[in-house]
Amino acid sequence: MNLPDRTALESGAVLVSNALPSNPFVAFRGSVPAGVAAEGEAHGVAEFTARLLLSGTRRRSAAKLSDRLEGIGATLEFHNGEELLNFHGRCTRETLRETMGLLVECLSEPTFPPREIDRVRGELRNDLRIEADDTHARASRELGSLVFPKDHPYGRDPKGGEARVRQIRRSDLVSFHEEHVGPEALILSIVGDVDRKLIDRSVAEPLSRLKAEGSTVPVIPPPPPHKRRRVSIPMPHKAQVDIAIGAPAVSRRHEDFYALNLANLLFGRIGLYGRLGRNLRDEQGLAYYAYSSLEPRTAAGMWSLAAGVNPQNLAKALTSIRKELERLRSDPFSSEEIRDGKDNQVGSLIVSLERNAEVASELHRMEYYGLGMGFLEQYADIVHGISEGRVRDLAAKYFTPDDSSVVVAGPVGRAPPAW
Amino acid sequence: MPTHVDTLDNGLKVILRPIPDTKALSTWVVYRIGSRNEVPGMTGSTHWVEHMLFKGGGKLAKGDIDKMISRLGGKMNAFTDTDYTMYFETIPASEMDTALMIESERMRNAAFDPKEVEAERTVVISEREGAENQPEFAVEEELWGLAFHVHPYHWTPIGYKQDLATLARDPLYQHYLRYYAPNNAALILVGGFDPAVAMQHIREAFAPLKPEAPPEALRLSEPDQRGERRADLERPGPADLLAVGWHIPAAAHEDVPALIVLSTLLGGWRGLVPFAAGDWQPRSNRLYRALVDTKLATDVGVRLEAKLDPSLLIANATLAGGASLDRVESVLDRVVEGVRKTPAPKAEMDRARQQLRAWSRYEQDGVTFQGILLAAGEGLSSWDFGERLLAKAEKVRPEAVRDAARTYLVDSHRSVVRFHAQEDA
Repeated sequence: MNLPDRTALESGAVLVSNALPSNPFVAFRGSVPAGVAAEGEAHGVAEFTARLLLSGTRRRSAAKLSDRLEGIGATLEFHNGEELLNFHGRCTRETLRETMGLLVECLSEPTFPPREIDRVRGELRNDLRIEADDTHARASRELGSLVFPKDHPYGRDPKGGEARVRQIRRSDLVSFHEEHVGPEALILSIVGDVDRKLIDRSVAEPLSRLKAEGSTVPVIPPPPPHKRRRVSIPMPHKAQVDIAIGAPAVSRRHEDFYALNLANLLFGRIGLYGRLGRNLRDEQGLAYYAYSSLEPRTAAGMWSLAAGVNPQNLAKALTSIRKELERLRSDPFSSEEIRDGKDNQVGSLIVSLERNAEVASELHRMEYYGLGMGFLEQYADIVHGISEGRVRDLAAKYFTPDDSSVVVAGPVGRAPPAW
Repeated sequence: MPTHVDTLDNGLKVILRPIPDTKALSTWVVYRIGSRNEVPGMTGSTHWVEHMLFKGGGKLAKGDIDKMISRLGGKMNAFTDTDYTMYFETIPASEMDTALMIESERMRNAAFDPKEVEAERTVVISEREGAENQPEFAVEEELWGLAFHVHPYHWTPIGYKQDLATLARDPLYQHYLRYYAPNNAALILVGGFDPAVAMQHIREAFAPLKPEAPPEALRLSEPDQRGERRADLERPGPADLLAVGWHIPAAAHEDVPALIVLSTLLGGWRGLVPFAAGDWQPRSNRLYRALVDTKLATDVGVRLEAKLDPSLLIANATLAGGASLDRVESVLDRVVEGVRKTPAPKAEMDRARQQLRAWSRYEQDGVTFQGILLAAGEGLSSWDFGERLLAKAEKVRPEAVRDAARTYLVDSHRSVVRFHAQEDA
């Protein structure tokens, strides 16, 4: 892959692009800092706003907007995140200019029609009900709120809860949009059937219509300390229990990130879920899925693991997970395991960046976290430079059973799970 | 895109799509065996066999496949459908021999160690129980069971829990030996390679494998449905759900291109296989306008289930709080009546065609997605099945779409499942 092309526009927006001519269309991925972290005490407003950006602009109704987008075969989606309002989509080389025009229109001129606000309010309430009935969603949401307590943007439900969904008014959405959605700190990555001329004409030009009006970029506070807890969420009508266990980890730019990421890969991802999956799924047949995740963000991060088990096997599964965590101290990763993990990370550069959409996401991540456009070229050296001792030490430091919160959701009693 | 097709003496069909300047390689093997080849009492066996084929045998010890692909930073997986089963690895193109070795061993030499079979029983049951946690799974299973009384589409590929609890190792192994053979499979390579070199390596890996007697053609066919079938499920859940399935002909039938356009008019188009679409929700379609825009539903979808045998076109809706199933069903009826009555206007047809055209490009995003399209096509008829089908669909006239609606979206040929969400006890 060639070095990505990066352009900073006068408005503050940054364009990053890469030509991949073998995939005959264009994928794009972008963001503005208008996620949960930007909403302050007005919980739920960022999510509500994101869901309304395809609901009508000063020039077009919601129906006309979707007719036009789908009429040119393009896709455009907006999703709220903890830090960012994200958008992504696909189009062809021929329809890139018009698609970018529609994107700019949605970002800059949404009208928040009352009828659409009502529709989205109903959709949010349904989603809250659906998530409340989903064992995996319940367990992971609860864990997030324990690891990042006191309504920290990383730990609270972006939808804000039933009461907030009922309360939010159109004026809240208009104010939030005015204050936070603009070209300042906007990042847009474009990948696929593109070249410099096309980017200038069909992307930079429409994007320059997005006027800087002093949108504020939120500072994300460090989360309050994690107070570990054990929680059971009884859902007696379900067949399976979802387990979520986790603890605070590191931010993306933290010096421990790369070694901890490798440790997480070995513990609960590589092959069919690393050591954890090998134990729970492969050797004991307790779970179809059992894996761990490392989610690094700007101000902090979380490490967690998830497994779905039959209620009769819950105690056995928890005991096995605990033993597997303790084993990180008694039987640390071997040199061979660490070597395999490094090979996996270096090799995966080719495999995980074969699609336009994947490359667009990676370029976006590089720009957002300030990793530099040469990051992909340096990645193999970064991985090879991780010391074995550091991987073992960080696994033992961060993946600790006694410092983790434990949540189970499904056909379980009210008593906290034995751990 | 240039695609080379060859067949080895043992019957293995080989499809090669070289993509210059690509460093990745996606290797797919599709077997013409799915849950349609199962019999009552053995439901779920094809899917269970798929799980066993990650557990070594022949030159591969348990865990070797994981290890070999992981070291390369590759990705791999497998999918069991009603009509076919597919396995893939996407790895750096320089490591082609690794993928070929894994797939040739998997084709005839899987171990089926009794201990491993037993350990996998609970994994497969756990997979099913995870699905059972979702009300949508109950609706889906009920719908196929209602629409098919004779044909094995009656059950879904995961199988029934009581069969998974009792199936023994030997019948599973026999199922594997019977259907996993070069003459019942196709090998697909997409990515950075030279076709002549690849062909040589493929011969070395697969030519020694012996063919099996060809499987007998399935003799079961579903009798015509006479009269609407309905089921009402009353269970704990967060929202009422509606699913309606109409019988449609097999994928190779000449009316399927018109049914694709019909499905697009009703629910939008998200590609031939669902992987590329992600969360994309089309909005410029009749069901979205009639049910979501009007706040009766929060989610709608239409799926044309193109299969080897006559199958279903399915419309789903997740109801908004306070909306009634009767109301939503009557609005759906009105939408269906609309497509039966009048040909779609030009602007709507153009939009549907443009979506089909654009998605035929989006689905070519990278070697893995191209591999799945070729493999799924081969599982149904031929590697270029999807391409040919979409080319035909683009030329369908509005009158043909109306006629397809009149022929197939008939109340007496449909099955309706209504999920009445109950408060959690």
